[in-house]
Amino acid sequence: MAKINPDFAKELKEYGALDLNACYNCGTCTAVCSLSDEDNSFPRKMIRLSVLGLEDELQSSVDPWLCYYCGECSETCPQQTDPGELMMTLRRYLTAKYDWTGLASKLYTSKIWEFGAIIFLAAFILVLFIFFHGPMTTELTDDGGVKLNTFAPWKIVEIGDWIMAGLLSFFLLSNIFNMYLKIVRNDKSIKIPLKLYFTEFWALIVHFATQLQFSKCDTELTGKKYTFSTYWIIHWFLMTSYVIMLIMIMVFLGWFQTDNIYEWWHPQRLLGYYATIGLTIGIVYFFIERIRKKSEKSKHSHVTDWTFLVLLFLTTITGILVHIFRIYGMPYPTYYMYVFHLMVLFPMLMIEVPFSKWSHLAYRPFAIYFNNVVIAARKQSK
Amino acid sequence: MTQPNEFDVLAIGGGIAGEEAALNLANIGYKVLLVEKDLSIGGKMIHLSKVFPTLDCGACITTPKVSETARHPNISIYTNTVIEDIEKHSENDFSATLVEKPRYVTDDCTGCQICEEKCPVVVDDQYQWDMVGRKAIYIPFSIANPRIAAIDIENCSLCGLCEKVCPADAIDFTQEEKRSTIKIKTVIIATGFNLFDPTLIPRYGFGKFQNVVTAMQMERQLVPTRPFNNVLRPKDGKMPDNIAYILCVGSRDETIGNPICSQVCCMYSTKQAQLLMGALPMADVTIYYIHIRAFGKGFCEFYQQGKGMGIEFIKGKVGLIKEKENGNLIVRYEDIQEGKVKEAEHDLVVLSVGILPNTDFSTMFKNTKIEQDDFDYVKQVDELSSPAKTNIDGVFVAGTSSGPMDIPDSILSAGAASAEAAGYLKGGKK
Repeated sequence: MAKINPDFAKELKEYGALDLNACYNCGTCTAVCSLSDEDNSFPRKMIRLSVLGLEDELQSSVDPWLCYYCGECSETCPQQTDPGELMMTLRRYLTAKYDWTGLASKLYTSKIWEFGAIIFLAAFILVLFIFFHGPMTTELTDDGGVKLNTFAPWKIVEIGDWIMAGLLSFFLLSNIFNMYLKIVRNDKSIKIPLKLYFTEFWALIVHFATQLQFSKCDTELTGKKYTFSTYWIIHWFLMTSYVIMLIMIMVFLGWFQTDNIYEWWHPQRLLGYYATIGLTIGIVYFFIERIRKKSEKSKHSHVTDWTFLVLLFLTTITGILVHIFRIYGMPYPTYYMYVFHLMVLFPMLMIEVPFSKWSHLAYRPFAIYFNNVVIAARKQSK
Repeated sequence: MTQPNEFDVLAIGGGIAGEEAALNLANIGYKVLLVEKDLSIGGKMIHLSKVFPTLDCGACITTPKVSETARHPNISIYTNTVIEDIEKHSENDFSATLVEKPRYVTDDCTGCQICEEKCPVVVDDQYQWDMVGRKAIYIPFSIANPRIAAIDIENCSLCGLCEKVCPADAIDFTQEEKRSTIKIKTVIIATGFNLFDPTLIPRYGFGKFQNVVTAMQMERQLVPTRPFNNVLRPKDGKMPDNIAYILCVGSRDETIGNPICSQVCCMYSTKQAQLLMGALPMADVTIYYIHIRAFGKGFCEFYQQGKGMGIEFIKGKVGLIKEKENGNLIVRYEDIQEGKVKEAEHDLVVLSVGILPNTDFSTMFKNTKIEQDDFDYVKQVDELSSPAKTNIDGVFVAGTSSGPMDIPDSILSAGAASAEAAGYLKGGKK
């Protein structure tokens, strides 16, 4: 039996939603949405569920993850209920609910928790360095670079990397499992043949690598000039940059964090440049969008949206500075910047990936994957 | 005896509300001046086919009223005239400046239409909502009153043919704007409403897709004086057999700045759908709605009657319209009953456009500003006990100038306005 919870809107407000009761259920939002179809008709259904406070149904729904917030629903809504922002809010809400530790919910709804956690994790890194850093030699390498690996040997840093990666994966994967239980296992009446998990697996890979769903989202249907593809391209550039950086740091740290100064065309530098340019362009673009508030997508910014952007920005800038200081032979700036770099990077990854905004990198493709599995199973049982 | 430029009442607007108020006051002996900016009195109602919920012939109700107004010894009518300003000097003492625009045809016109036949210029006929053409010299519409031709000087090529053929010698190109000042004792605002312009919602494709029409265009196709003598879709002249109505176009919509209900669209659409079932017995008619508002006397029965006749009512507002190559239209909507987004094909889509205030009145009053409500209608300062009262004593409001309403309500409102005006004229309370 479904139970109505009229106070749910209040809870949802902490994640950012606006006045939902304005909705008079005309369905314009669903009809103009370029991603909505017979199988997944949203966003009006999500508004309805939120107004009624049917949390079980909300938590078992994939629809918020299928939406890429082109904002046409908000623009055309006759009651100005802002369905697009509700979908964004629900993504925050779902991130909090998938997380079994309860940390995500705290981080989303309390600024003290959010900033406290960042400061705590940054301080943890600082303390580690204060006590365990290597000798801060001012002696330079033969080609005039800083001996960064003497200060912070990559082998030791890599151990830290792996511990962090283990933690991140553990939390994120367990949260995804939780998501799986809520979305796929919620409706016990559908029998899902094991085979489908394999035949539909392509969706996970494709959508993770290309954000195919994002590229289908456009604003052309309502006759507006602005198309959504700029967003998609810049986001894709940002995403690949990030993935490249992550692989270099996690898997090839010894190769990436080197004391050698390679020629500009060396893959280590080229990949580094690609990633830092991609990150910088993406971050600056999203900063400008959020400040200008021109598009529906960037009109409302939750505090966690800003936190994520700022952390990512600081990580990128400090990373670039470490590189510059190192190759121009400035030992102390290199060391301090390196510590600062890790002080930003560590909290960002620990907080954002499993518990906050960045988790969408996993939730979005998994949602499509789970959704495809359920739809295929439903079709088969018919 | 009053002077020729002195009247008791100035009624602004010659629609059903203005006429009703003018007649009421003239019948009890007051001298009324009725000013109409259009070429003919009759307002919007004179263009309608039948009225809901009784399905009485609209013209059969309104034309006798129009004639009675035109012939009444106590009523003077200025058509093609706007009011430049109204000034209040003291109670029962107003003055107004009228500007009568040139018609370029004198009152000698017999309405024989020979000029119309000869005129070489063809432009869109605004009285058929641009569905057919008219000439640059034209009788506005067949039941116009006064039935006098007028020259649309902006489109006229000044060839002079009309002047040559006119048997009554009524063409006069030398006419100029006539300005006159009048004295009056009370004013009734009955300026009515404007229809929403659906080009403001580009996703419905009005103006781009020819088979998307407004409800007023459909209304014209259902009247006895209809342009094609049949119901045809504009693009290829095919008789439609699957017609869709979209309700709340320009009403209850914050995005175009009109959040309120227009009060008539649900019922006029149901009425047109019923008439279409008579005109095109094989046609399917679907009405897409948010809520059906059948609040008036006999409305709910009327809605049930429409359902019984086979009109399909679908809960869900159409989000967008796409055109197919053959001119058919795909409407995309969410079926609210099922919660699923759907697409349906129709060969004609009618936009049930809403009512917006005609704010012409707002600039007329010179020394006191007339107050407007939140939606720019004339503000009823004492809506419950004195519904026609405005913020200026001696100025009353009738019909849709005070808010969206249907025909019976407009007539009732005009009755209230005339009664309150009569009380004011008797020197009693405001």
